[in-house]
Amino acid sequence: MLHERLIDALGADAVKTAPEDLAVYAFDAYTTGRLPSAVVLPRSTNDVSAVVRIARAYDEPIVPRGAGTGLCGGAVPACGGIVISFTRMNRLLEFDPVRRRARVQPGLVNLELSKQIASSGLFYAPDPSSQKVSTIGGNVATNAGGPHCLSYGTTVNHVLGLEIVDERGDVFQTSIDDTGYDLTSALVGSEGTLGIVTAVWVRLLRQPESTRVWLATFPDVEAASDAVSAIVANGIVPTALEMMDRTAARAVEAAFHAGYPTDCGAVLLIENAGYEDDMQACESALAAIARERGATSWRAARSQNERDALWAGRKGAAGAMGRISPNYYLQDVCVRRSTLPKALHAVEEIARTYRLTVANVFHAGDGNLHPMLCYDKRDPSQVQAVIESGNEILRAAIALGGTVSGEHGIGFEKREAMTAVYSTDDLAAMARVRDVFDPQRVLNPEKIFPSGSACPEVRPQSA
Amino acid sequence: MSIEALAAQLAAAHRERTSVTIVGGNTLRGMGRPAATATGILSTAGLNAIVEDAPADLTIAAQGGVTLRTLAQTLAPHGTHVPFDAPVASEATLGGTLAAGWLGPRRHLYGRPRDLVIGSTIVLADGTLARAGGMVVKNVAGYDMSRLYVGSFGTLGVLAQVNLKTLPQPERRRAFAVRLPEHTRGRAIAVLSSLRVPPAAAFWIEGFAAQIDGDDGLEGRLLVFLECSATILEAATRDLRSALGRAGVPETRVIDAGVRESFERAIDAYVACIGERSITYRVNGPLDEAENAALGAIELARRFELRTDSLVDVMNGDVILRVSDLDARALGSKIEMFDDALHDLAPRAIVIAGNHPSRPLLNVWGALPEGFERMRALKHRFDPHGVLNPGRFVGGL
Ligand SMILES: Cc1cc2nc3c(=O)[nH]c(=O)nc-3n(C[C@H](O)[C@H](O)[C@H](O)COP(=O)(O)OP(=O)(O)OC[C@H]3O[C@@H](n4cnc5c(N)ncnc54)[C@H](O)[C@@H]3O)c2cc1C
Repeated sequence: MLHERLIDALGADAVKTAPEDLAVYAFDAYTTGRLPSAVVLPRSTNDVSAVVRIARAYDEPIVPRGAGTGLCGGAVPACGGIVISFTRMNRLLEFDPVRRRARVQPGLVNLELSKQIASSGLFYAPDPSSQKVSTIGGNVATNAGGPHCLSYGTTVNHVLGLEIVDERGDVFQTSIDDTGYDLTSALVGSEGTLGIVTAVWVRLLRQPESTRVWLATFPDVEAASDAVSAIVANGIVPTALEMMDRTAARAVEAAFHAGYPTDCGAVLLIENAGYEDDMQACESALAAIARERGATSWRAARSQNERDALWAGRKGAAGAMGRISPNYYLQDVCVRRSTLPKALHAVEEIARTYRLTVANVFHAGDGNLHPMLCYDKRDPSQVQAVIESGNEILRAAIALGGTVSGEHGIGFEKREAMTAVYSTDDLAAMARVRDVFDPQRVLNPEKIFPSGSACPEVRPQSA
Repeated sequence: MSIEALAAQLAAAHRERTSVTIVGGNTLRGMGRPAATATGILSTAGLNAIVEDAPADLTIAAQGGVTLRTLAQTLAPHGTHVPFDAPVASEATLGGTLAAGWLGPRRHLYGRPRDLVIGSTIVLADGTLARAGGMVVKNVAGYDMSRLYVGSFGTLGVLAQVNLKTLPQPERRRAFAVRLPEHTRGRAIAVLSSLRVPPAAAFWIEGFAAQIDGDDGLEGRLLVFLECSATILEAATRDLRSALGRAGVPETRVIDAGVRESFERAIDAYVACIGERSITYRVNGPLDEAENAALGAIELARRFELRTDSLVDVMNGDVILRVSDLDARALGSKIEMFDDALHDLAPRAIVIAGNHPSRPLLNVWGALPEGFERMRALKHRFDPHGVLNPGRFVGGL
């Protein structure tokens, strides 16, 4: 019956019901949930409304899904339900170069947007490393970051308004220019639990006139993080400030031949964009700090090709891990930038204790760590070690005044950790917002909020 | 006063079904509707501690009653700032500025105030304390509650503490005063946003002679502020002057002394009142429509035989329009009709200043936003007894 109703509303080609088709939608890049009852591929906002109404009639929860690159089980059907996949709602709807904004469907792939508008001299700033695959809708739902949000800010800073299908199937619009409460900001980062994003107005920026990329090498990650802290403490905020340790650099070089040195303990990838006239002074200041903090070398990328190669290597780093380990678990925590050396040290200690290899590739300028713990999922003791060390890293970050997710979100994976950073009252305030937008808890249930509910145990899977 | 004392005051009000009007520096007293019921006053003035100054992290945590001036003075030695640009910085409080959703002229360059908020402690209507975010610059653990409180006009809770990301200050500032003959205006405004080094702020001003520098005779004037590195300042200056020259502007005067003061005077003018004889509106619209929006509003005021002072934030498209008359009675006889007519023209116009007794009768928040039903539900869920600023916000929230 449910299937017939969905097919009547959307057409047979837009509804998947065969178990082998559904299986793909039980995963994201982190974990597996339950098989959904159905997967729908809407073409329009109306389709989405129709699906929500049908789902409600059949008491099925709703799980919105972008590209499924999420790293915290956000898009997996924790309790089954209907998965709404946005792959067919992937158009650039409107582009207004004068007002520097665009209206896009949620399934548009992040990088596609900047490609489609490149000739106008404008670009869309948020650039998660998954941008070749992940969608604007998924980015909005997770408030995605990326290397360049150091200076441009995360996704929320670039969303001007939303079209939302609510838990009853009704459509409403929000704009950051509305009087009243800033519903747009509340919805961004809500991981599909407050509404389904069916269109996004994004802010576009002028492409900078000049971009420089530099590489600095260090004997170890502590020295490199010390340099990062010093750069920030000196009031310098380059457009990107990324770190890679030796293990990660070797994996990246093996996969991409991007030009990263592999004989040092850690390398900093630094980018600054802005006015040509300012670049010399910026380079001198950065290089001086790096040297002072023990850099063993400093060099500038000489060409656009070289810069592109370095960035391709950086953004492909997670994928390159396959070169050194059958599986890896990617943790995401954020600490105060002045505590980076301590945080990195703690990660190393934890990995040592659990006898795991760790590779670090991360958004150092923001204090946003991404330790990748290598393991083999066929060995249960390693799986256990990964789970425990992942939790220890969370505890270490909290002890340093940090948070349990800098950019990947809470999803299913980290919901129990929410109680470690927030009090009951803090969480109750969030729940009040949920009460208003989704009183029945039908939108992406069992996500973000801690709960002792009877859902399947979720564990890291092979990446 | 401590946050705990404030919480106790709210808890008591909640229990006894009374209500409070929240007051910070009272600099934006011209915003919002009067309280719907008689209420007690809850002042945040005592919440004036810098909780944690963390220059090495480029962050700072301060209580809601800290003034913007104090905040600026704390950050200045570190070479950083939080460019909120709210009027009367010596009295305006951090909590009040954020709660009012203040939007300043440099936001196109540095971001909106909310974009610098990384954490908060709010006292909810029943006196509960709820924290959100923290002292890290990236955080997606749960909903971004702080952003919901920003712009909520004190109707969801009292911002007791705010944690901010700070920004490096620009190396140099320079101001430019320009006489703007009418035939040059359109082009002069248009060139500013396409400059290689866009100004940090630019105002097209008509009137406000007592508040803002520059003598414009009968025609308007431009006040432009550059903020950039020392290296690029001269090139940026040349570009600006020649672009304005090409637009037909006769002369561009450079001001290097007192730039900050001159900028602050322009900001202060947003809420400057002429006794009880003026009402000031704000219309935020698209950049490319700002000139026409301003001209339309001025023309409308003329039809009502009201005097006008206007300031257009050329980089963001905001129009600030102050209408006034010879005496309060003369203004009173026209202002309600003018208010209706203005809202026909610009439905989202809001009132940001005015001491005239008729102010409460005006449509001070403009048209209801589309998501209003949800806003009302939020208000009800956060403050079911209507303890906080009852009736003062849009639609009586
Ligand atoms: C190799 C790799 C690198 C990555 N790098 C980064 C990085 O640099 N920065 C970063 O922030 N993240 C990164 N991520 C994580 C991930 O890519 C982001 O979280 C991304 O925003 C998810 O987008 P998606 O389209 O894949 O969404 P999904 O994974 O499909 O969904 C993510 C969440 O959004 C919800 N959702 C999706 N679409 C909608 C919608 N239309 N309406 C409402 N809710 C919706 C889902 O229910 C889910 O909760 C990386 C992931 C990988 C695998």
